[in-house]
Amino acid sequence: MERLIQFLRRRAASTFLVFVGLVLIFAFLSPRYVFVHSRNIAALGKLFPDLGIVTLGIGMLMICGEFDLSVASVLPFCAYIFARTLYAGLAPSWGLFFALLVGAALGWFNGFLTVKTRMPSFITTLGTLMFWRGVLYIWSKLMPLGIRQYIPSGSLFEKVLTGTVFGFFPVQSLWFTLFAILLGILLHYHRFGNWVYATGDNRDAARAMGINTDWVKTACFIIVGVLCGFSACMQSVRIGSFAATQGINFELRAIAACVVGGTSLRGEIGSMSGVVLGALTIPILDNGLVLLRVPVMGISAFIGLATILFVLLNTYVERRFR
Amino acid sequence: MERENNDFLVRMVNIHKWFGRVYALRGVDFEVRRGETVGLIGDNGAGKSTLIKILSGYHHADQGEIYFEGQRVSIRSPRDARGLGIETVYQEQALAPNLSISRNIFMGREPLRRLGLIDKKVMDEESMQALANLGLKLRSPDVPVVTLSGGERQGVAIARALHFKAKLVILDEPTVALSVKEVEEVLEFIRQLQREKVSVIFITHNLYHAFDIAERFVVMARGKKMADVKKEDTSPQGLSDLVLKSAFVAE
Amino acid sequence: MEKKLTLGRRFLLSRATSVLVVLVLILLLFSLFSPEHRFVDPDNLKVLLSLGAEFSIIALGVGMLMICGEFDLSIGSILVFCSFVFLKLFELEVNPFIIAVVTVFVGGALGLVNGLITVRGQIPSFVTTLGTMMFWRGLTLLLSGGEQTACDVSALGTKAASRFLALFTGRAGGFLPAQFLWFTLFAILLGILLHYHRFGNWVYATGDNRDAARAMGINTDWVKTACFIIVGVLCGVVACAQIGRLACFTSRTGEGWELKAVAASVVGGTSLRGGIGSMMGIFLGAIVISVIENGLVVLRIPYFWTYVFFGLVVLFSVLSSMYIEKKQMEAHR
Repeated sequence: MERLIQFLRRRAASTFLVFVGLVLIFAFLSPRYVFVHSRNIAALGKLFPDLGIVTLGIGMLMICGEFDLSVASVLPFCAYIFARTLYAGLAPSWGLFFALLVGAALGWFNGFLTVKTRMPSFITTLGTLMFWRGVLYIWSKLMPLGIRQYIPSGSLFEKVLTGTVFGFFPVQSLWFTLFAILLGILLHYHRFGNWVYATGDNRDAARAMGINTDWVKTACFIIVGVLCGFSACMQSVRIGSFAATQGINFELRAIAACVVGGTSLRGEIGSMSGVVLGALTIPILDNGLVLLRVPVMGISAFIGLATILFVLLNTYVERRFR
Repeated sequence: MERENNDFLVRMVNIHKWFGRVYALRGVDFEVRRGETVGLIGDNGAGKSTLIKILSGYHHADQGEIYFEGQRVSIRSPRDARGLGIETVYQEQALAPNLSISRNIFMGREPLRRLGLIDKKVMDEESMQALANLGLKLRSPDVPVVTLSGGERQGVAIARALHFKAKLVILDEPTVALSVKEVEEVLEFIRQLQREKVSVIFITHNLYHAFDIAERFVVMARGKKMADVKKEDTSPQGLSDLVLKSAFVAE
Repeated sequence: MEKKLTLGRRFLLSRATSVLVVLVLILLLFSLFSPEHRFVDPDNLKVLLSLGAEFSIIALGVGMLMICGEFDLSIGSILVFCSFVFLKLFELEVNPFIIAVVTVFVGGALGLVNGLITVRGQIPSFVTTLGTMMFWRGLTLLLSGGEQTACDVSALGTKAASRFLALFTGRAGGFLPAQFLWFTLFAILLGILLHYHRFGNWVYATGDNRDAARAMGINTDWVKTACFIIVGVLCGVVACAQIGRLACFTSRTGEGWELKAVAASVVGGTSLRGGIGSMMGIFLGAIVISVIENGLVVLRIPYFWTYVFFGLVVLFSVLSSMYIEKKQMEAHR
């Protein structure tokens, strides 16, 4: 009971209630209750972790007071590295390794640029967003690279990244859960998490307490990069090829998801459970509206509206009940 | 104690303030006479800033009255406070660092020509004059404030208050994070205010700085006024003991 | 003598100067290396000056908004919604000048919405306008069905129609496109507003130190809202000019402009933290971005190179403005 009350006092609690409400509405209103059909849930569980896993990292980065717009380029870049490694004749696990490595390197570069120039990461990552996208387009000539031939269906690698457990539960969702738990532990129970909050709250105070804020920020950028690398491989294996359009618009969608989950854009405020909630809410809204026969192209209107309403609701509840 | 009422510039009576469940001010009486400099001292969280922010219009008291020049007033915004002649020099909050000195001095009160266009010549000349009156010599009114030293920045803010004929200047920790030389500079600015018969409220942690400049000291702890002593009746050491004792008593 | 030196140094150290240098370099590069010097061909210059000006007009407003410490990611969506309003009124065969007034008004109203949500809800404008960006674009797509629709003002055949087209897409002296004149006009107007009017002082003060501005009696919420409205109005104007030029409504117009506009402002020396920037810098930054876009096309470089260039220019300007800031501090000490 105590825990329940504590939970309700959290910033994202109102998001949680709305989230439950949304699920119920979609469940009852969707034609023939197709929203809660196991096939729909399975499809949703396969698709949403692509963005969801990246969102987890972005949430942590935002808590430490920074942004990363470049995920929308880092992700396809890593996907291309993955495909290229396979074409070079190396095993898929090497591809994964290189994708993660490159993701980490690009993340490190973002962090390096941001802490060294002391520019807002919004700008530095806007620069790297454009830059890496350009490099990728030139290098890949926008040609898709099929990778099915290197990862036969039924192979262990495929199963681990995109298979199902118990016959229907998509493994992608398990990965999402795993990363959420790991980052949650890191953020809430490890001292690194304390540093992240302190850095986002008041950089000078954190520094005065002997926390190397530059290092904390860079580490968060690297985490985002690694998650991009992982998500890139997962997505490539699922669609069976590299496509230059992977990850397009992820930068703003990830931020929207975090914001819906109660993360502040000014740093310090937010929690991993909130980020998870946000990462689930947006795709559910997306999926539910499609099932309600809202034209696909108009759905962004609802997501935009939802983002603003969620933020207003969260800030209102916070002001009212604290 | 038999002073006539209009000797007071400001009188705050029985001020209460809650922040949610926190009882920040518990019935504080506070007054400043014309031309008087009052040192407001106390530990962190004693309620000094809250009291001052009520006076300068940032917060609103939940209960209590404020009298200014004998008249009951209601100060609902910083604008109201400024209208009465109360200028606040908050640490790091008073100036826009990237704006020039003259634009800072006239911020929100720009001298105008037609159509709302700024009269830069008047603005620059008057700025230099205002700074000179304070004994502060700066090269040009076009320099961004961020390039000035901490003491000079306080000087710009104080010059602004003086230029607009403030009756009461509130200085919130003006000597914090300044070098010894700069502190002396700032104290000299305050003496200039005293010579111009401006009332000053000086909030500080540093009892020695307060002792140097103020004529009367008000000690706060835990949202209450614990002591009100004249300079003649105490010493820096006495003040220090007072602060410690009040914090202890308030517990 | 010494005074002159400092003036010279001050000129070199001003942010606008470094943008100007970049611009001149880029112009030289494109003029020299475009095949048959096609970049400086009058036809291409006309395209550059009309097409580039449309984006640049909005970038001016975005820059001013950034100086007052806020963002607007929704410009592309306001633009497309305004275009849609234009289309609907056009289909009712309303006088084009009335359409223009309504369109500009709608743009201003959408700017007002952004401003009100931001200042009343006390949420960062990044979130507000991220939301309205998705909302207005989505709404326009829902209402229009996402199709391209002809909207040829000249088909009205009235006198007002031809005057309207002359005003928004004509050529002064047979060469200078009206859009470019609009761009220059807005740059001058906003420049006066920002640097010589007291409103400009309030914009800087609000972006630089909001608490100080408020303590000095400036209504910072009002200042921010006014800046949002200005951006919206500019979007409305551009919607008119663009429909006049294209003679059709497309639901994809303005996509990607939001980050491009931020890039233009940053290239022009505007700080994302607010309080720093100048209209001259923003003006030049917008031109740099437009020139790069056009020049790469003329050089027959695949479009994706644009991103590399944008990225490099943004990163370069970040580094140079950091350097300038440091040097300026040293110079004043």
